[in-house]
Amino acid sequence: MSKVYFSTWRGEQINNIGKADEEWEKSAYNLPLEYNEHASSKAFIGWDGVALFSPDVDVVRLATEYAAQYQVYSEACGRCAPGRWGGRILYDLLDKIARGEGALSDMEHLKEVSKTMQETSKCEIGKTVPNPLLDLMNHFESEFMACIEGQKPSKHYHMHDTNYIAKITAPCMDACPAHVDIPAYIEGVRDLRFDDSLMATRQTMPLAHTCGRVCPHPCETECRRTNLDEAISIMELKRLGADYETDHGFGFFHPAQKKPSIGKKVAVIGAGPAGLTGAYYLALEGVDVDVYEELPVLGGEVAVGVPEYRMPIDKYNQDIEAVRDLGVNFITNTKVTADMMRQFENDYDAVLVATGTRISKKVYCDNERPEIQGYWGAIDFLDKVNLQVKYDIMVPEADQKRHMLPANFVDLSGKTLACVGGGFTSMDVVRCAIRAGAKKVIMLYRRDEATIIKNTTYEEYHEAVEEGVEFIFHSAVAKMNDENDVLKSLTVDRFELVPDPNGGRPTLEKIDGASFDIDVDYLIPAVSQSADLKLLPEEWEIERTSWATIKTNGKDYMTSRKGIFAAGDCEYGPMTIVNAVGQAKRAASVMARYVQSGEITLSDDEIMEDHLRKLKVYDKKEKIKGWLPGLPRAHSEVLTVDERKDNNREVKYGFTQEEALAEAERCMRCYYIAMVAH
Amino acid sequence: MINFTINGQPVTAQKGETILQAARKAGFYIPTMCYLEKTTPCASCRLCVVETDKTDGFILSCQTPPTEGLSVTIDSENLKAERTNIMRLYDVNHPLECGVCDKSGACDLQNKTLEFGVSAQHFSAKEQHRTIEHWGLINYDPSLCILCEKCVHVCNEIIGDDAIELQFGGYKSSVVPKNSEKLDCTFCGECIAVCPVGALVSSDFQYSANAWELTQIPATCAHCSAGCSLVYEVRHTSNALGAKPKIYRVTNDFEHATLCGAGRFGFDFGSEGAKDEAELARAVDAIQEHKAIRFSSLITNEEAYILQKLKESAGIKLYNEEARAYQDFMKAYGSISGKKSTGGSIDAVAKSDGVIVFGGRIATDNPALRYAMTTAARHNGAKVVYMHPLEDALLQNVVTQYVKYEVGTEEGVAAMLAKTLLKEADVSEETRRYFDDLDEGYLCAESNVGDEEFERISKTFARTKRKTLIIGSDLLSHGRAQNIARLCAMIEAYTDFSVVVAAPSVNTVGVSLICDLDADGANVKAVGYNAHGVYTMGSFGNVQLRLPALNSQEGTFVSINHQVLPTNVAVAFEGYTLNDVASRLGVSSANTIDYTAQLPVSSGFSGSEFDALGNFYGPLGEDRRGYVLENVDVEADGELEEVEDLPEFNGTVVYRCNPVNQFNAYTAQSRQLEKDTALRGSAQFAAAAKIANGDKIRVEFGSGSEERMFVLDGEMKGTVALVPSYDGAYGAANDRYRFEKVKISRVGSEV
Repeated sequence: MSKVYFSTWRGEQINNIGKADEEWEKSAYNLPLEYNEHASSKAFIGWDGVALFSPDVDVVRLATEYAAQYQVYSEACGRCAPGRWGGRILYDLLDKIARGEGALSDMEHLKEVSKTMQETSKCEIGKTVPNPLLDLMNHFESEFMACIEGQKPSKHYHMHDTNYIAKITAPCMDACPAHVDIPAYIEGVRDLRFDDSLMATRQTMPLAHTCGRVCPHPCETECRRTNLDEAISIMELKRLGADYETDHGFGFFHPAQKKPSIGKKVAVIGAGPAGLTGAYYLALEGVDVDVYEELPVLGGEVAVGVPEYRMPIDKYNQDIEAVRDLGVNFITNTKVTADMMRQFENDYDAVLVATGTRISKKVYCDNERPEIQGYWGAIDFLDKVNLQVKYDIMVPEADQKRHMLPANFVDLSGKTLACVGGGFTSMDVVRCAIRAGAKKVIMLYRRDEATIIKNTTYEEYHEAVEEGVEFIFHSAVAKMNDENDVLKSLTVDRFELVPDPNGGRPTLEKIDGASFDIDVDYLIPAVSQSADLKLLPEEWEIERTSWATIKTNGKDYMTSRKGIFAAGDCEYGPMTIVNAVGQAKRAASVMARYVQSGEITLSDDEIMEDHLRKLKVYDKKEKIKGWLPGLPRAHSEVLTVDERKDNNREVKYGFTQEEALAEAERCMRCYYIAMVAH
Repeated sequence: MINFTINGQPVTAQKGETILQAARKAGFYIPTMCYLEKTTPCASCRLCVVETDKTDGFILSCQTPPTEGLSVTIDSENLKAERTNIMRLYDVNHPLECGVCDKSGACDLQNKTLEFGVSAQHFSAKEQHRTIEHWGLINYDPSLCILCEKCVHVCNEIIGDDAIELQFGGYKSSVVPKNSEKLDCTFCGECIAVCPVGALVSSDFQYSANAWELTQIPATCAHCSAGCSLVYEVRHTSNALGAKPKIYRVTNDFEHATLCGAGRFGFDFGSEGAKDEAELARAVDAIQEHKAIRFSSLITNEEAYILQKLKESAGIKLYNEEARAYQDFMKAYGSISGKKSTGGSIDAVAKSDGVIVFGGRIATDNPALRYAMTTAARHNGAKVVYMHPLEDALLQNVVTQYVKYEVGTEEGVAAMLAKTLLKEADVSEETRRYFDDLDEGYLCAESNVGDEEFERISKTFARTKRKTLIIGSDLLSHGRAQNIARLCAMIEAYTDFSVVVAAPSVNTVGVSLICDLDADGANVKAVGYNAHGVYTMGSFGNVQLRLPALNSQEGTFVSINHQVLPTNVAVAFEGYTLNDVASRLGVSSANTIDYTAQLPVSSGFSGSEFDALGNFYGPLGEDRRGYVLENVDVEADGELEEVEDLPEFNGTVVYRCNPVNQFNAYTAQSRQLEKDTALRGSAQFAAAAKIANGDKIRVEFGSGSEERMFVLDGEMKGTVALVPSYDGAYGAANDRYRFEKVKISRVGSEV
């Protein structure tokens, strides 16, 4: 709810013109009333309407500036006749009126050009730019007419008292935590300009191979095409650019030329998605980056957590090499300690902590003693599997004994394994267990099938079932039963969903007498992970969240200690790769300015990015014009169960070119311009 | 198959077809300004919008496939009004210079402006100053550019140069060279061809003639074996009585076909002739005296047939080592495949999703094959394996696996390749044993191709559906060409690969099908027809009897698609023809093209008269050019031979390979084409040959020596240098293995 003077945003009709301040009707939307802590906004104008926050807005100038922004931002456009010439004419005519030289016929021409743009433009930016302009011309006609009839400039035309800040967005870009320019990379595929596609991705997302495979793609949930038929298969289209670069052995297509060194140094702790991303964008800005990694290999959880069949390491290594290509220095086998951190504060201009969450949480059952053999944390389990599968790093003898392995790799032949979880990590555990030859693999999950699909993906769940994983829903481990500290069986409770008589969320309640025992050799807790923050010197008193992660304001990612930043799971808690990328990208941008100026700032683009996310760009109620419904979403082929379940071949083939092109053509290029006047 | 309606009439579309494509097939007209059938839709002009019963607002017909039962309206008043407005926008500030513009009279903008009745500038916007760009053979005027993006699409998707892009800037947008200040490309000129307005023009042609003054003569390109369709555009040179016409430019049906720079810019070859009775008599005497003619494959089928008739009637020996090598290769090939010709075509390459190129510098040898590979790579995501001793930078954005083998080891590589591709094939036990018995360790070691590279090929092609194998001309003249041919034939006979052979010259294939050729030798005396001889005749070199060049002749060629393609006289030739020479020797007919119908049916010719042959593409791209040869059955009595010991090429080795757009003595004559005659090599080569950049050097081949400049090419690697052959007295010498060990000595320094 925002207090506004006038608003046509998303079709609302709020008109407080002439009303006293306290009688103002409120807008239903999270409009950016405060631009930042230093400035209040005067107006917000965008694809779906216009809102004025004060009576003292020069609407003619506002319209002119919005049209001008369309010209300024035309690098995102300029690709269709109506948009290109229409946009220019809009601006020229509006400016002519605003400076006091307009004629009555200009208003008519404005409406005519607007209609052609709305009907025939290539992308939504051209179709929607006229919307708020027409709103202003309709509701404030007298102000336009005053300029025309009096042949005088608009009231603020010659004043420089207002800043007009614009931003290009799209529903998918807004939903993506890394704000990847999705329409641009899809356009690259559509135009068969795969290098352009990849460069568009890498503007904000260096891990193109990775996030073309294992991203949970929140963008697809907010894809505007959903309103018409089905969401675009956004994620997989990312692979085409990356594959083009790799398949033809080109050098790396970076989004910009690396700036020459500015003589500043940053340490990044952790070479996972967040660390790699931070390093990449800092390096592009000319900052010298050292990345410290505890493991012998680079890539963090995506390397040692995500299995080979989902994320082939040779592809991930390409993403990592793209980071190294910018001169980033990697130091592996180095666990950073508090002492080292104290030293880093002197040696480096800033530090980015990106250590993830690598401690498997307990399942909280009776007799849950870590010393019981067969009790094996998901993170360590996956480490051991992946280090061997991907890097031929074998399980050390002590661990072999500890985990009752017959050989120096994870061989589960003849064994029964139960995993408690429900998220991606637990899926990885059970599917890896199948591939490690387990006799029986059980997933215990407190909730139901629909929820596990929601928390992972339909494909992931379905493929696990196909491969032979047994899912027991509405269940939880009550007790671990051991003999001489060797796990023998689990006592499992069953639950049911009991509706809340008061209409609240249904609650899970234990069914008495329904508990049962199952014989197992292994219990893998994969319920969640927590961060190991022992590297933060205690005397720094770095603030934590209530989930025991590092606290920042979620905008600039600086911790409570100046110069120490945090991004990724260690900041947010266990979350997605793309979330880590988005945070680290922002952190890198803030840090690149900080190491030069000592100030913590956000760029206008970043401020607008946050405003728009709050406002939400995607409107699931919007009715789509100008696109034919009923064109089905493409699905890429996958290996059959028999082809995949006893090996680590990548399950998904990825799109054929034909599928990719058909899918790319479904993209509606929903670019929009939003602008704040402050 | 999808059923829908357009303006109420039932129409069907194939899966993957758009509304626009289906409409065009059904004969409906939807206006477009940026649509190009052979590329992905640019979708920039928006004129092709249509209305449907299932949509709010207009949809774009060029990129939308129809859905079942859809009802489409293509010409409502609403559509007309918005299309007219788009045309009004196109006309905003478009310079009023139609009077001098090259495109005037053939301009899409003019046509559509007229069609929509835009008679005045309806909208206005600020003028902007734009600078005309001069990019060598191409000029670009951004003020005339309507930013349809056709040029950008064709350059990237069909040609593969990817040399231009749109610089986004809304109203200020323009086409710019990609990643370069100056246009750095192979100058195919396809961007000029597809430009709907006068923005991209040939700098040579600009301001020299109006479109409507030019006579268009459909013909077939004479420069390589692809047989591309082109149109010579001819006009008188002055208003003076008797002024001779000349070729002003070459154009092509860019909507359906593609042309390289040699075809487009290298049209001004040949020379004038006069009827000198005495010289004709000398030519006839010489032939009678030596009873032998040596000729190049720059010759029509009909001329080749005349020569064959001379052989048959007067016992004249016929020498053409290049065509003979091809003939022998195909004979061996047929002895396995049971067919006279291979089954592939350039079009099959363009449609494939897996291509292997083996033994040729394809990008410059045969640009049409390169464009087909680019098309396949971009549009079908084709995997392309390039097997050659030298990497080719022009193919980097096409090739997905480069297999480098040692010079001379082609037979071993062919055996390994066949073994790899035939792994699952249903071959005879004997054949299986042949492949099982191959000494893989030896072959891999000597050819320097690891078995993992063949393993990768095997994996790649396991998932491809439309596979083609391109055989380069290195293999045709290899010492073991015939066994290589048999091995390659196994691939076509027992797998779903189709094979196309990149024959070296415009009519190598035709000559091989028509002439019974004799083995030539070092000291054999013969009359040369566009070739060395004791007496010479022809259209290039310093010949004694002038005969018409291929742009002054009517007749046919056989392309590597095994298509018999007609060509026509662009500029009349005043002198004698080969037919006149032959008439004096007792082989006579009124016109050369009288022989078209007599071309041997045993080789697959159809007996069609020349005048019955079409030379155009239909409105939907239907190929109406000549006809395709019947692929005649031959006896499959061949057997694979043991692979011989693989040869070694040490020391200074050169590879005969022409620079971009150069092919033969015709292109060498052309005014517009760049003439790089240097020997190009890497630093490693320079060190081995003890020469430096800019040195004048002598290259001693087995058959003679040449003086050239040496250019150190930073992009090259390895110890093989590139030596051009187009600039010899009689053009390319494709009569022997393209790699040769030579002696190089420094004779001076240019610098």
